[in-house]
Amino acid sequence: MTSVPKKRLEMSDVDDDDDEDDQLDPSEGRTASAGDADETAAEVAPADRGANPALVLDGISMTFKVASAKAELQGRLPWHKRIVYGAVRREPRVSVYALEQFSLVVGTGESLGVVGRNGSGKTTLSRIIAGKLTPTTGQVWARSTPQMLGVSPALVPSISGRQNIILGCLAMGMPRAEVMARLPEIEEAAGLGDAIHLPMETYSSGMGGRLRFAIATSKNPDILVLDEALNTGDAQFRDRSKARMEKLREQAGAVVLVSHNAKQITSSCTRVLWLDAGRVIADGETEDTMYNYRKYNWLLAKQRLEEAEEFIMGLRRQYRRVEIVRA
Amino acid sequence: MSTERADAKKAVAAGPEHVQVRMSGLERVGARLPLHHYLGRLWRYRDFIFFEARASVGTRNRNNLLGNVWLVLTPLLNGLTYFLVFGVLLQTSRGVENYLGFLVIGVFMFQFTSRCVTQGANSLVANRAVVKAFDFPRAAMPISAVLKELLAFLPALVMMILLILVLPDQEQITWRWLLLVPILFLQVLLGLGIGLILARWVSRVRDVAQLITFGIRLWLYGSGVFYSVERFVSHPDILAILELNPMHQVLTMARESLLYGTSPGWDNWLILGGWAVGLALVGTLVFWRADEKYGKEETR
Repeated sequence: MTSVPKKRLEMSDVDDDDDEDDQLDPSEGRTASAGDADETAAEVAPADRGANPALVLDGISMTFKVASAKAELQGRLPWHKRIVYGAVRREPRVSVYALEQFSLVVGTGESLGVVGRNGSGKTTLSRIIAGKLTPTTGQVWARSTPQMLGVSPALVPSISGRQNIILGCLAMGMPRAEVMARLPEIEEAAGLGDAIHLPMETYSSGMGGRLRFAIATSKNPDILVLDEALNTGDAQFRDRSKARMEKLREQAGAVVLVSHNAKQITSSCTRVLWLDAGRVIADGETEDTMYNYRKYNWLLAKQRLEEAEEFIMGLRRQYRRVEIVRA
Repeated sequence: MSTERADAKKAVAAGPEHVQVRMSGLERVGARLPLHHYLGRLWRYRDFIFFEARASVGTRNRNNLLGNVWLVLTPLLNGLTYFLVFGVLLQTSRGVENYLGFLVIGVFMFQFTSRCVTQGANSLVANRAVVKAFDFPRAAMPISAVLKELLAFLPALVMMILLILVLPDQEQITWRWLLLVPILFLQVLLGLGIGLILARWVSRVRDVAQLITFGIRLWLYGSGVFYSVERFVSHPDILAILELNPMHQVLTMARESLLYGTSPGWDNWLILGGWAVGLALVGTLVFWRADEKYGKEETR
């Protein structure tokens, strides 16, 4: 059932979200069934993670209670609730299980890629790690406060770009003298020219994105959380921001990279966590996990849904839950 | 296929993988700091607080033709309104010595506190973009809001003093005018304390912001802004309660120092100081206790 077609996997017509780089290397045409994941040593051996941890997720899970506009739900409410909800225009709440409980240890020096389809819980996870969201259960422990990059710091629209830079840097805890010393460099990185003196509300969305990126990357974080929405700006800026990102990633003690871009993950992550519908499918060495991930997407794209489902269930069964023992 | 099943069974049978983690050197993300560390961190963010306040106070009236002239014009027009309604129509001015000065102090100074409280209370919600984006002690927001109001009040304060000097029943400058400085200081503490408490409530339940307007209006009428409380309230118990109102004390003390050439008594200082310091302390504590929750997404 999870046997792979022996023919070459042709992935060119795969529509994996907006990802054009997601090509399965045909020369690699091996039949990686879920079972044969050969254990290539990652940069950090699993046993060492616990001895020198950078980030520990201990039994985290996330359940959202959100308003649902589904009409049938309204009808199922008891009459008194229906009256009250009608008066305050509140819709009945439903629980959305964004992340099922799991644990994870990221060792110092590791970079963890997080992949999964839309709605798999990737962004929820990155916000929990960065402390923007309190998990329903469990705790996040870290060597230093993880810095999230990507969900851009929205700033004060009425003040100028330069003032926004100063404000943002001060808000990140940079001493005033350092802010002033580095101001030219950050302005240069934003590349806005004279527009830096104009109020931020007059900026185009691209300009705003560049300014925010320059501010957010002005500090070298120890633990870096990168979310995928980094494709702002024109080509010139994209190259520059990419270079800046690379530098930050190299300097960081640990990196969590949430991305749709398989190429980026393969080239820069030592380990990959695959989420699907809020559950961990796999947590392992990059090459194998990414191979399986691409294969799954390929099956989906080919509309071989049952096969895909079998495949992912097989992987899920193999995933071994982690339990943290605090020492 | 069958071996795969067996593998899967093995994985399940083996149970969870226990990972020993050395917890020393790790801290919980988003955990609330102990109070003294929190205050220390807040102190290190003082530049941020000052900059935030200074940067946005200049732009508040940018879209108005008259710009920052409104900082002075608003209390002036407010005073004129109250003068027409209460002074001319309702004649509450009878028996009040130098009613114009009395009214100017009441309106200008009450508006300052009212703005401190509302802006402080709304500071987290109004700046939620900054709060969400950065990780700083959240008390910086209400403090900065109150500081902003103080900066915006300075031109109005100059205007108030000019009016007292120019309007009929012109007053002489005495050493007692200096007492305005400690009075203002306690007034700021008072506004900050209330702002901190309300900021926590507003961030939890937005609806509280709607109620603050009414609370402030009630406070306005109970503080003797445009009439002398002593003249209209004869019941001794109610009068005693009104005497305990810190804003009534602020206005009385400012009027005594600036208009009537008498020094505020120790009881005035005690009542105002007690409220101001007490509420500032309680406000800090109340605000700090929920610090980890501000700026997080709603998960209710």
